[in-house]
Amino acid sequence: MKYILMMTGTKADFAWYAKWSKTDLQAQLAFMHSFNKELKESGVLVATEGLAFPNQAKLVRAAADGTPITDGVFPESKEFLAGYWIVDVETPEQAYQLAARVSAGPGPKDRGNQPIEVRPVMSGPPPEML
Amino acid sequence: MKYILMMHCPRTGYDTFGAWPKKDIEAHMAFMLAFNKALRESGEWVSGEGLADPKQAKIVRAGKDGLPITDGVFPESKEFLAGYWIVDVASPDRADALAAKASAAPGPGGAPMNMPIEVRQVMSGPPEQNSCNES
Repeated sequence: MKYILMMTGTKADFAWYAKWSKTDLQAQLAFMHSFNKELKESGVLVATEGLAFPNQAKLVRAAADGTPITDGVFPESKEFLAGYWIVDVETPEQAYQLAARVSAGPGPKDRGNQPIEVRPVMSGPPPEML
Repeated sequence: MKYILMMHCPRTGYDTFGAWPKKDIEAHMAFMLAFNKALRESGEWVSGEGLADPKQAKIVRAGKDGLPITDGVFPESKEFLAGYWIVDVASPDRADALAAKASAAPGPGGAPMNMPIEVRQVMSGPPEQNSCNES
């Protein structure tokens, strides 16, 4: 069963993250590297990506002629995807365990455990569509 | 340059989609399959996934003992990721053009949906500290 583990944050969250001390950032990166390595070695990692910061995000819509309109505005409250892991595990509980590990990843002292969204990934369109 | 194209929807988005007439759903899926095929043929496809219904989403936090707590509640207004493509393109404009194509996927009655697609670069490594400044 494939699950996606998503880290999200508002622009304010990203601005706060950008102010972490170098030591805290390094500890977090080291944690991510060893977490990814462990997932790879245990064979559960399908994919993982980190996205560029939300100030680079664009909202694109097609105009009537099909060309892109790129001036969309995100709501202030929008939670931007910061990065994700896709894991292939036997049970949802295993996915939740992994999410809890990320949730408790290192950060500044005053940071609580962060929420991670976990959802099954579909392996293709529903069978009746094929 | 790798870009991610993201489709979002509200928590009830899949119910809305599921209530479309069958032929509209089929036309939408056929469009998506053809779009995916064209990306593979042009060599721009990196990956793509469709996510399960947002109603199956859980918020997971570690408790003090490190064990997962899964009873978190999403805000009513939360937008959920419905699916995404990662494409490897020659320019940002090409990513926008592909997003516009996805945006115009057929909806009810076959009319283009012109749905918003979020486009963002995918990083190939850890962030630079100075890339975090707000625009």
